[in-house]
Amino acid sequence: MTFLFYIFAALAIVGGIGVVLNRNPVSSAFAMIVSFLGLAALYIQLDAYLVGTLQILVYAGAIMVLFLFIIMLLDIKSEEGRQFGVFSTAGAVVVAGGMLLIVAKVLKNFEAGEKALTPLKGAAAETTDVSAIGELLFTTYWFPVQVIGMLLLVATVGVVVLSKRELR
Amino acid sequence: MPAYALEIIVFSLGLVLLLVDAFAKLEDKRSLAWLGMLGLVVVFGLLFKVEPRAADDANVFWRFYSDSRMSLFFKGIAILSTILVLAMAIDYRGLIEKFTAPAEKKAHPQAGLGEFFALPVFACAGLMCMASATNLVSIFVSLEAVTITFYVMVAYMRRNVGSLEAGVKYLILGALSTGFLVYGFAWLYGITGSMDLAEIGAALKSGDVSPTAALFAFSLILVALGFKVGAVPFQMWIPDVYQGAPTPITAFLSVGSKAAGFIVLLRLSAVFLGSEAVAGQVAMAFAVVAGLTLIVGNLTAIPQSNFKRLLAYSSIAHAGFLLTALAAAPRKLEAGQLSSATVVAFYLGAYLLMTLLAFLVVGLVRVHRDSEEIEAYRGLGKSSPFLALALLIAMASLAGVPLTAGFFGKFFVFQLAIQGGHWWLVTLAAIGAGAGFYYYLKVVAAMYWDDPTGAAAKAAAIPVSALTRAAVVTLIVLIVIAGFAPRMILGLIG
Repeated sequence: MTFLFYIFAALAIVGGIGVVLNRNPVSSAFAMIVSFLGLAALYIQLDAYLVGTLQILVYAGAIMVLFLFIIMLLDIKSEEGRQFGVFSTAGAVVVAGGMLLIVAKVLKNFEAGEKALTPLKGAAAETTDVSAIGELLFTTYWFPVQVIGMLLLVATVGVVVLSKRELR
Repeated sequence: MPAYALEIIVFSLGLVLLLVDAFAKLEDKRSLAWLGMLGLVVVFGLLFKVEPRAADDANVFWRFYSDSRMSLFFKGIAILSTILVLAMAIDYRGLIEKFTAPAEKKAHPQAGLGEFFALPVFACAGLMCMASATNLVSIFVSLEAVTITFYVMVAYMRRNVGSLEAGVKYLILGALSTGFLVYGFAWLYGITGSMDLAEIGAALKSGDVSPTAALFAFSLILVALGFKVGAVPFQMWIPDVYQGAPTPITAFLSVGSKAAGFIVLLRLSAVFLGSEAVAGQVAMAFAVVAGLTLIVGNLTAIPQSNFKRLLAYSSIAHAGFLLTALAAAPRKLEAGQLSSATVVAFYLGAYLLMTLLAFLVVGLVRVHRDSEEIEAYRGLGKSSPFLALALLIAMASLAGVPLTAGFFGKFFVFQLAIQGGHWWLVTLAAIGAGAGFYYYLKVVAAMYWDDPTGAAAKAAAIPVSALTRAAVVTLIVLIVIAGFAPRMILGLIG
């Protein structure tokens, strides 16, 4: 299983690097799908079947299709010819490298490998079974779900107001 | 009536506004703003009728929600600022109309105005949820609900390049900070196994949790919330976004969004400061960020010539004072000592009053003089003495002149820092406050002393509607009351 973990982790990382390095936005988007597939496999390895499936259905499927649509509607040529200055590249490398160093240092000092983590609250079924998760969403977690409902309403109103050609 | 009924009422009010806008063919959409304000005034009154949670109320809902005095106080802040923002939006509607639908102006003169009055009400509901959130899940969803509403409102003048630029900058940096926040929350959940702040606090206190991991989670959360409240070095977006956004929204952003960031920061810092293993480093991190924010915010405000930009830097500077209060949080409260939560709540209350008063005047001057430069305020003392007086009081309070609300806000912060023995923070705060006197009073000087007899002074007076006049008078009275009797406000916080 560890062997599989390394394969899929490498897949996710290679995909991520591809998103950043590709000049063509369409290739970037496809690299992102590769990265999502690697992540989904990792979730499934962790017994989080629902999250893994959602990762593929929602992210790799729906959201990436939307991405490609938007890229199609935009002018790709101008993006391909764009050059980044030395200053901004150096800045990005320093920030990303610094973040990587910090995470590496934290993981080194953190006994996650040697010591079992605190078990999560709730039965195992609550985190794997779809119907149990659905039930939790509409019982224990009804309040956050309602707030998300409001969030979506506001987002819809915002999209209409900001993008409609002729407001009435 | 339980506390959560208020959120339900405010959310329904927002829905009603949207529906009325969609189905009733209103001649003048200003009535929507009036309806919104009326509803919010009623809700503000109901705030004093809230009954605490019944002892036998076992709804799972209370895992996500607290109805403490502090939450009610912050709900009050949210409602009051939304009412004033709607009042401001009425005066500002001309500019909104100009930039939402200029080509079709004849066919639909008030297109897009209804949503502009409804969105702040939804933001208010989100802010109220956040004031009560006691669980990582409810904190996150309500914070996002508020932030997404703000993305829309900042870019609302969609045919204005400045507003669009502000919207894009705010969206990208906001999304980045959300990423940090989720990563921090994930670590916190991973190491403690709980989403509930009380349980997380207990787990951190027990010492079973690796301090390295806890500190890493804390620093990620600090980065994210640093973006939200405008702490240095995460303040880059503030001047551009504040300048580009419609003025009523800038006011809302600087008050509502900052208050929201600080409630979350207060709740989470209490969790971390309660654990012996990490409390020292957490307080240190707050102190460093507070010191940087005080210096950068105050010193970069000095050369500003655009008033809205000046207020943006002033908002960074005030974040510095608020963070100083968090950094100086006493480990053990002695009798008669104010907790840092109380100090922060009082400061935010005072900040709300004076900032909204300043923005009310800025909005009116923008509409009638078509400028936001400090130069446009020349001779205002002669041409519009009422607005000049209002701005004078707002500036005096922002600078911290005695007998204003702002003075006691700063006073309590200094008191806390001195009691905690944070002398270098006290020094930086004193330098910041000194610089504040210079740049706030620069505006006052422009109004009263620069060229008091020239052409600017003879310009026509800026018309002030009865509603704005009432709002200005109320704010002035509240600033002065809080400046004379701060104990009254402290009593409300509990």
